[in-house]
Amino acid sequence: MAPSNVARRELTVALEQGLHVVPCSVIAKTAREFNGSVRILRGGMVADATSIFDLLGLNAQRGTVLTLEADGEGAAEFLDRLVSLFESGFDTPR
Amino acid sequence: MLVKRGIPASPGVAIGPALVLGSEDFRIPNQFTKVDAVESEILRLRYALEKVCRELEEQQRLANERLGQQYGAIFEAHLLMARDPKLLADIESKIRKRRYSPEFAASLVLRRHARKLKELSNSYLAERATDIFDLEKNLLRHLLGEQREELSQLTAPVVVLAHDLTPSETAGLNKQFVLAFATEGGGRTSHTAILAGALEIPAIVGVGSFLTDVSGGETVIIDGDHGEVIIDPDEECLARYRENAARSKSVTERLQPIGHQQSVTQDGVPIPVYGNIEFPEELEHCRLRGADGIGLYRTEFLYLGSARERTEEDHLEAYRQVVQAFPDKPVVIRTLDLGADKVPSQQKLFFNGQPNPELGLRSIRLSLSDKALFKTQLRAILRVAALGDVRVMFPLISSLAELRQAKMLLHDVSEDLAEEGVSFRGDLPIGMMVEVPSAALMADQFAREVDFFSIGTNDLIQYTLAADRGNPAVSQYYNASDPAILRLIQMVVTAAERHQVPVTVCGQMSSDPKFVPLLVGLGVRELSVTPQSIPQVKAVVRSLAIPQARELAERALELDVASHVETFLRGELLKICPEVVL
Repeated sequence: MAPSNVARRELTVALEQGLHVVPCSVIAKTAREFNGSVRILRGGMVADATSIFDLLGLNAQRGTVLTLEADGEGAAEFLDRLVSLFESGFDTPR
Repeated sequence: MLVKRGIPASPGVAIGPALVLGSEDFRIPNQFTKVDAVESEILRLRYALEKVCRELEEQQRLANERLGQQYGAIFEAHLLMARDPKLLADIESKIRKRRYSPEFAASLVLRRHARKLKELSNSYLAERATDIFDLEKNLLRHLLGEQREELSQLTAPVVVLAHDLTPSETAGLNKQFVLAFATEGGGRTSHTAILAGALEIPAIVGVGSFLTDVSGGETVIIDGDHGEVIIDPDEECLARYRENAARSKSVTERLQPIGHQQSVTQDGVPIPVYGNIEFPEELEHCRLRGADGIGLYRTEFLYLGSARERTEEDHLEAYRQVVQAFPDKPVVIRTLDLGADKVPSQQKLFFNGQPNPELGLRSIRLSLSDKALFKTQLRAILRVAALGDVRVMFPLISSLAELRQAKMLLHDVSEDLAEEGVSFRGDLPIGMMVEVPSAALMADQFAREVDFFSIGTNDLIQYTLAADRGNPAVSQYYNASDPAILRLIQMVVTAAERHQVPVTVCGQMSSDPKFVPLLVGLGVRELSVTPQSIPQVKAVVRSLAIPQARELAERALELDVASHVETFLRGELLKICPEVVL
């Protein structure tokens, strides 16, 4: 069995308006580039990070604590990238 | 027998079996799908979803280009929703496991997402539910749109009854089988109504809710002259209509040859009668009826029915067809005359719901606010002008500053073309529509700066009398015979004569034979009419002498009530040219 390659990061949402449509679409778009699965957890809720509907459904507001979870090759590096998007406030769409 | 009244949009009478089309708000026809159709239904879903994505991509590109990245990002989000892998998987599983139809499954899944957002107690996200409803609508439009294509695959004559027809559906109607149509929605100015006139099939719009009273297959009479839909007519009514139809056909046939005779008055004054057209197939209608040129070439079709913005070459190709059909005769090309909500690059999203669209960003105002869009059209017009007697005309001009700005742009474009070494004609005649009362009042000023006027009576009446002609509740206030309209036309003609600027009348008023003697008497020397009216308008012109027309106009101007004017003009027409009166 191939070794599991799961990475995890925790962060607090700093965006003024929380995870609204534009950040969610940046996350979904980025997650679709990853060769593996990416999830974002809030309490008991699990969102598939490629699904903008799931992400919006998290209803993450400023101050909400989220756990990012990736499973696949390069999971840790990928999560670093995702975290930096959160830190930059998603101001560079691409 | 059931009689419903609507707004007459295109004249004529047709009798035939009803074909009822689903409503615009997408009543979903079937909840379930057949077991053996599951795979083909899934393919249909994917195909429709792909089309939605393509449209969104195009809108995103245009928004980025025209409005900036922050607007493009909105479409990006829509696109990500449409491409959401879970969305497609959810809908597909509903089709496979529950045998739901794609329409029903898509609607169910999307509405569930929308409801979830609304329940989040987050007002920002709750509002985004409208994005999801938008997506639902777009997807259903494509899913059902394919079904509505049956409209173009008819094999027997029908009368189409629908909640609404899109302009592209109307344009695609097969005249061989679609005898007439009536819609619940729409107004006389709606593009669908104009298209029906162009296709020369009787049509009624704005009937209000009536489809629930029809199941399809019943005999229906569409009386496009009086705006009546008669469902399941009794024998007597049917007989009356059949007889009228035969009589009207014989009048049309008798008048047909007159179209090819010269349009001169009894005392030898030429009054050329041009055709109003929009589509290439109408060129044939004009030619058959002896049009002296094209007095109004509407270009709106180049902006409708496509999510893609047309290129300069698309415009040029369309214009070239018209110029080649009338090589030695005038062709007046009118620039874009649409509301912002109708133009794909203008993003419905941002201009939707202008509270007062008729007074909003439309027509020349839209062209001046989107110079890239406008210049594409102007370049094509200047280029085609090298091939014939082409004239350009700006619609809805309301102030001198606006006219000057439009002329300036035309000048800029001709400099660009000269620099590029493209063949074009820069000194083509420039005209304007007189259809806003301010333009009529200032006609003496405008006359110094244009080569011709064309009075657009439809809008002039609507704006002068403050009555939306598409609204049945106020249609009694919309009246071409109103003394105020007569005076405005007189003002324009007088100002134009002083500056030796020719005046055409191109609204529906000039296609109505009873107004022809009046317009000629007021000094109008060119008329532009719907192609099917050319023979009868020429017949009136040929029966008329100028002094007689002048006297008639003077008497009409003395009358103070619209209904008196109307009665007077009817009576005079009967004396002058009884053969055009049915």
